[in-house]
Amino acid sequence: MSRTTVASEYSAEIQSTPIEHRFNPYSDNGGTVLGIAGKDFAVLAGDTRHVTGYNINSRYEPRVFDVGDNIVMTANGFAADGKALIDRFKNQIKWYKFNNGGKKLEMQSAARYIQQLLYGKRFFPYYVSTLIAGLDEEGRGAVYSYDPVGSYEREQCRAGGAAASLIMPFLDNQVNFKNQFIPGTDGKEKRPFEYLSLQEVIELVKDAFNSAAERHIHVGDGLEILIVTKDGVRTEYSPLKRD
Amino acid sequence: MNSIAKQYTQGNVNPVSREINDAMAELATPPQLGLAPTLQLPPISQPTDFLRAHTDDATNPDCKIKIAHGTTTLAFRFQGGIIVAVDSRATAGNWIASQTVNKVIRINPKLLGTMAGGAADCQYWETWLGSQCRLYELRNKERISVAAASKILSNLVYEYKGMGLSMGTMICGVTKKEGPTIFYVDSDGTRLKGDLFCVGSGQTFAYGVLDSDYKWDLTVEEALYLGKRSILAATHRDAYSGGSINLYHVSEEGWEYHGNYNVGDIFWDIKAKEHSFVNVET
Amino acid sequence: MDIIIGLTVKEGTIIATSKAATRGISILKDNDDKTRQLNSHNLIAYTGESGDTVQFAEYIQANIQLSTMRENEIELSPKAVASFVRNQLATSIRSRKPYQVNALIGGYDTKTQKPSLSWVDYLGTYVELPYGAHGYSAFYCTSLFDKHYRKDMTIDEGLKLLQMCVDELNRRMPIDFKGVYVKIVDAEGIRQIDFN
Repeated sequence: MSRTTVASEYSAEIQSTPIEHRFNPYSDNGGTVLGIAGKDFAVLAGDTRHVTGYNINSRYEPRVFDVGDNIVMTANGFAADGKALIDRFKNQIKWYKFNNGGKKLEMQSAARYIQQLLYGKRFFPYYVSTLIAGLDEEGRGAVYSYDPVGSYEREQCRAGGAAASLIMPFLDNQVNFKNQFIPGTDGKEKRPFEYLSLQEVIELVKDAFNSAAERHIHVGDGLEILIVTKDGVRTEYSPLKRD
Repeated sequence: MNSIAKQYTQGNVNPVSREINDAMAELATPPQLGLAPTLQLPPISQPTDFLRAHTDDATNPDCKIKIAHGTTTLAFRFQGGIIVAVDSRATAGNWIASQTVNKVIRINPKLLGTMAGGAADCQYWETWLGSQCRLYELRNKERISVAAASKILSNLVYEYKGMGLSMGTMICGVTKKEGPTIFYVDSDGTRLKGDLFCVGSGQTFAYGVLDSDYKWDLTVEEALYLGKRSILAATHRDAYSGGSINLYHVSEEGWEYHGNYNVGDIFWDIKAKEHSFVNVET
Repeated sequence: MDIIIGLTVKEGTIIATSKAATRGISILKDNDDKTRQLNSHNLIAYTGESGDTVQFAEYIQANIQLSTMRENEIELSPKAVASFVRNQLATSIRSRKPYQVNALIGGYDTKTQKPSLSWVDYLGTYVELPYGAHGYSAFYCTSLFDKHYRKDMTIDEGLKLLQMCVDELNRRMPIDFKGVYVKIVDAEGIRQIDFN
């Protein structure tokens, strides 16, 4: 009895049409992030779940990083691109110090530099929504947010990633007091803006993430908040729903 | 012979210094000869198709990367200089990404650029244009003309024609020899001088109001109001425009910022004052 | 669609181009000049892909001007100019990103004292014609030219014929083209004239 091996069967096959592969180097690893700037502090928070499709790869994969010079950064979306971007930026901060006698990279310079990194890949973009948080030259809290190809804006608060659309409207209402009016004015007088305290902000962040974890499958497991003050960067961890 | 020798010679065998050299090479780019900095391309035969497949939500609605689009911007020339007015909404598909976008880019104290289309494209290339204008000043001991500045930008975007850049911009400024000047520059390489332009998804609505009340002899106050009112009209009818209105007046002394007006607030004031927008119930 | 029409008469060449610059559903400008002067007796009128048109016309203009400077103010003949333009477009169509520009070149040969009209398209086709047009305007105007054109027309008769064409276009074109700029190339050089 003669049997043909698998290899020989395939070798006998004639390829008439070329196999076409579409170049798709992107994936979505879920997760959501959130930055809020206060009077003299800024926070950047992110959940710690890492997914591909319906699979949870990790329940603790940090998303938000201390990149040095009192700046925290996250690049949420496609984890590999996020990692590449943050690594490149950390590296450049290092070289900036070597070349400038250990000078601190200011927030606005960091912000502009990240635009250059993102736009440098305008025709092969990093699939990430990027946020950085820190203190500006006057010591006030600052959050900068970016689109995938580098357009950026300084804001009071910004949510990014999978549950951005769930968290952002909540933030508009609770941080910038959008659509809030002073009671008894018949919706005529707006509630004036005032800075929240660090305690209030942390409670707000926890509420935001607990709610997002309830309604979004790509959010959950853990919440890591990085807090920037003039004394440096501090991390707080609290658990989220793990289902 | 030389090339054969080179093949077997390792220029730098010390791994530490090689690492330093590599990092320095990334840091210190060689002197800029052409106009544009180098942008990385995907390692495939048709980079343009790749970009379209992954970013263009018109042809591929569930593409991953959403680039902000949708806008109303306007600029017009009149007796007292130039008025520039813009909205502040950024959208990605149906999602309002931001209501506080700054769509007027202050190229330098005398020049303004407006932003419609890709937010990053406009922001990046117009700040880049700012550097080019400064270099021109240093080299020629003279301010650049609006014509020359706009041509630097239009030649730049023309180099990238067909690659997927998306911008519709107005370069506005006043110089001694030109007077108040507006150039429309867009990403297919068009560059037009004119008195009045509206650009963006809400352009038609803005044109309607602006054309009907526009006169050369408008006072500065009247002109500012007309600019503001035209953008308001566009934010009312175009879902992709909204947020707030940013107003500028450009004169011989340079540009002057005339404030930010939240659409939600001024709409009711203007409706009450003009008795307009009768389609809206009070 | 832009309107580009040209005709030769006994003493010169007449070129007419529409004034509207349109993008999408808006007319952005109603005084756009779609011509460039190449030298004292040659004029190019162009239409096609936005961006390409002006870049190409100004590139041609610069090269013809350079030639005039190098050749000690001796200018290229209309035939030489048209051949140069054709050659550039024929090279371009075989490149990775071709110029998508169609053109008419109105010229007056000072040596032979003959006017000329060259019709050139983006593929690199070049023909010398007594009258011609590009785009939709060709569909309306060629029949009128076929009926009314005579070899020994004066400039005034030529302008009358052009007026017939523009009137028909105004009547039948679905989009307003904001009138035309009319330029005449003759022994005196190039001049713009008032028209309707």
